[in-house]
Amino acid sequence: MNYVVGTYILYLVISVALTVWVARTLHKNGRLFLVDAFHGNEPLADSINHLLVVGFYLVNSGYVSLALKYGDKAADLQQLLEALSTKVGAVLLILGVMHFFNLYVFSKMRKRALLHGAPPPIPPQGYTPVAE
Amino acid sequence: MKKLYILYDSECELCRRSRVWLGRQPAFVPLVFIPFQSAEAECRFPALKELRPDEEIVVIDDAGAVWQGGAAWVMCLWALQEYREWSLRLAQPALLSLARRMCEVVSANRYKLSRWLTKAKSNDELRHKLAQIPTQPPCLPGGYCKTR
Repeated sequence: MNYVVGTYILYLVISVALTVWVARTLHKNGRLFLVDAFHGNEPLADSINHLLVVGFYLVNSGYVSLALKYGDKAADLQQLLEALSTKVGAVLLILGVMHFFNLYVFSKMRKRALLHGAPPPIPPQGYTPVAE
Repeated sequence: MKKLYILYDSECELCRRSRVWLGRQPAFVPLVFIPFQSAEAECRFPALKELRPDEEIVVIDDAGAVWQGGAAWVMCLWALQEYREWSLRLAQPALLSLARRMCEVVSANRYKLSRWLTKAKSNDELRHKLAQIPTQPPCLPGGYCKTR
């Protein structure tokens, strides 16, 4: 096994572990947000939560597999560490962007839900009789 | 609130276009558009004339609560799904006074703007041109009130 294959294996192990960790964190902590956004409708919130996590896994795994072969090829241990660091760094950045995107979606849904029940922003200026 | 009645000026092209735009937006509260000149407006709201609907837009809910001018516009936005956030922003005192003033200026000049939009030379020509366009059904289905 040469250094390049070593880079790939380490890269895959670290990236997949990170993806799983972030997805689980999102799944666990996003649930409350969603339950609130859907007026306490827990089955719906759980379903949306699950779908979001599936999307998250797909995008991240897709990126990790696509990016596997790109970058410098390592010939010794120093280059292996450098290549690995670059690749994992890119994965971390992508995960970060995805994470904030998810948060944005959650907060948008929550805001929407709060707007739905908002009372008229201006009190009536008067009253007039209405005939049926 | 079950419905929001919007009393608009059917002799003004700008008001008609606004009505068409409002009618296309997805709404939280159903909007019912009635020209203030129509018999239906008069029979549904017997005291409508006192509110001077010819000066500025009047919005009335199904319980009889009235909003006029800038406030009426904010209420229209509040009824729309995409613009409720904006309506809450506009309802803040500083922006609301600005909205009121804007609305006053636009309302006072609406025939001038409508003449420009329809390329009519006089108000009579404008009225004539608008009378050619078939009027939309005055109310939502089932919302028609019988003229006594």
